[in-house]
Amino acid sequence: MSRFRAGVLALLLTCAIGPSSATAQESEPSAETTATQEAEAPTEEADDRSALTDPEEEALDALAAEVASGLRCPVCRNQSVVESNAELSREMQAVVRDRLAAGETPEEVEAYFVSRYGEWILLQPQARGINLLVYGLPALALIVGFFIARKLLHKWTGAADGAVPADGSPDLAAEDEQWLREALRES
Amino acid sequence: MKKKQLRWLLPLVAVPILWLLYWGMGRDTYVLPSPMAGLPAPDFELVTFDGDTLHMADLQGKVVILNFWASWCIPCRTEHPVLVQTERTWDDSEVVLLGVVYQDSRANAERFLAEFGGDWTHVLDPSQRTAIDYGVYGVPESFFIGTDGTISLKKVGPVTWDLVRYQVDSLLAAPVATAGAASTGGAP
Repeated sequence: MSRFRAGVLALLLTCAIGPSSATAQESEPSAETTATQEAEAPTEEADDRSALTDPEEEALDALAAEVASGLRCPVCRNQSVVESNAELSREMQAVVRDRLAAGETPEEVEAYFVSRYGEWILLQPQARGINLLVYGLPALALIVGFFIARKLLHKWTGAADGAVPADGSPDLAAEDEQWLREALRES
Repeated sequence: MKKKQLRWLLPLVAVPILWLLYWGMGRDTYVLPSPMAGLPAPDFELVTFDGDTLHMADLQGKVVILNFWASWCIPCRTEHPVLVQTERTWDDSEVVLLGVVYQDSRANAERFLAEFGGDWTHVLDPSQRTAIDYGVYGVPESFFIGTDGTISLKKVGPVTWDLVRYQVDSLLAAPVATAGAASTGGAP
C-alpha cells in the first residue's frame, strides 16, 4: 500500500512539474537562435536608425514580429519564423509585414499562411475541433487528479486517525491480529 | 478506493495512449500536409531566362507542371531525367512544364541545364514570394495543374515517370481537376 501511495504522489508531482519544464524547453532558444540574436545585437548605428524610425513603422514591425513568432519555419525543427535565420523564414517575415502594411489583420495574415501551408504552419494549434483536446485534456486531468488526490488523502488521514482507538490498542488487520494472538500464546 | 473499482481505469487510460503511440509512430513524418490541392493555382508574375514576363493566367487552358527546383539540390538531379522525358512526350500546346528556380542564381541554373539538358521554360523567383504563395517547403516540389487552373496534386520530392504520366493523362482526359486532388510526399 505504501508503494501505491508513493506512486500516486510521484505521479501528482510529475503532473505538477511537467508543464513548467516543458514550457522551459520550448522557450529555450536553440544555438542557431542565440547565434542569430548575437548577430543581430543592436549596434550604435542601429540605435541611431531606430531613433529616426517613425513610431507607426515601429508598431508595424512589432506587430509583424508578433504574428511571425506564431508561424513555424517550414525548413526548421520547431522554430518560429522570427527565431529562424533561414532565407525562406526571412522572406515570410517580409510577407507578414507587407500584408499588415496593406491593411490586413493579424488573423487574416495567419489565415493566408494556413491556406498555403495548412494548420501545420501555426506553432500554436487553433482552439477548435479535435484541437480542443490539447486545451481541454490538461484541465480535465488536473480536475480528475484533484478529486483522486482528495479522496486518497481523506482515506489515508482517516485511516491514520482510526489506527489508534481511544483504548490505545492499534487497529490491526485480521491477519496481523491472528499472528499477534499466536505469538502471544506461544510466549 | 477498492481495487475492483480501479480495474476499469487502467484500460481507459492505457488504450487511448497506446492508440496515440501506434498512430504517431506509424505516420510518415516526411509526408507534409498541403491544403493547396483542389484550389485555384495562385497567379504569379515571374521573369523567364529570356526576359519575358510570365503569368499563371497565360497558361490557362493547358495542363501545367510547375516544378520548383535548384541547381544545388541533389534530388532535383535525380528527377531531372523524368522532366526531360516529360518535355519530350507531350507537346507545348497541351502540357507546359515550367521550372521555377528556387534560392538559386540564373547562372547556376543555366550551368545545370547545359550539363543535364532540358529545353523547357524556366523563371526566376528571387524574392521567393511565388514559392511562399504555393506553400513550398523546399525543393524539388511539383504542382500538377489542370486546364481550368486548379491544382490537382502537390508532390513533395522528386517526381517519378509513373506519377507524371498518370497525372498528365488524367488531367488531359478530365480537364476539371478530378485526377485525385491530393497532396503527397510518396509514390503515386
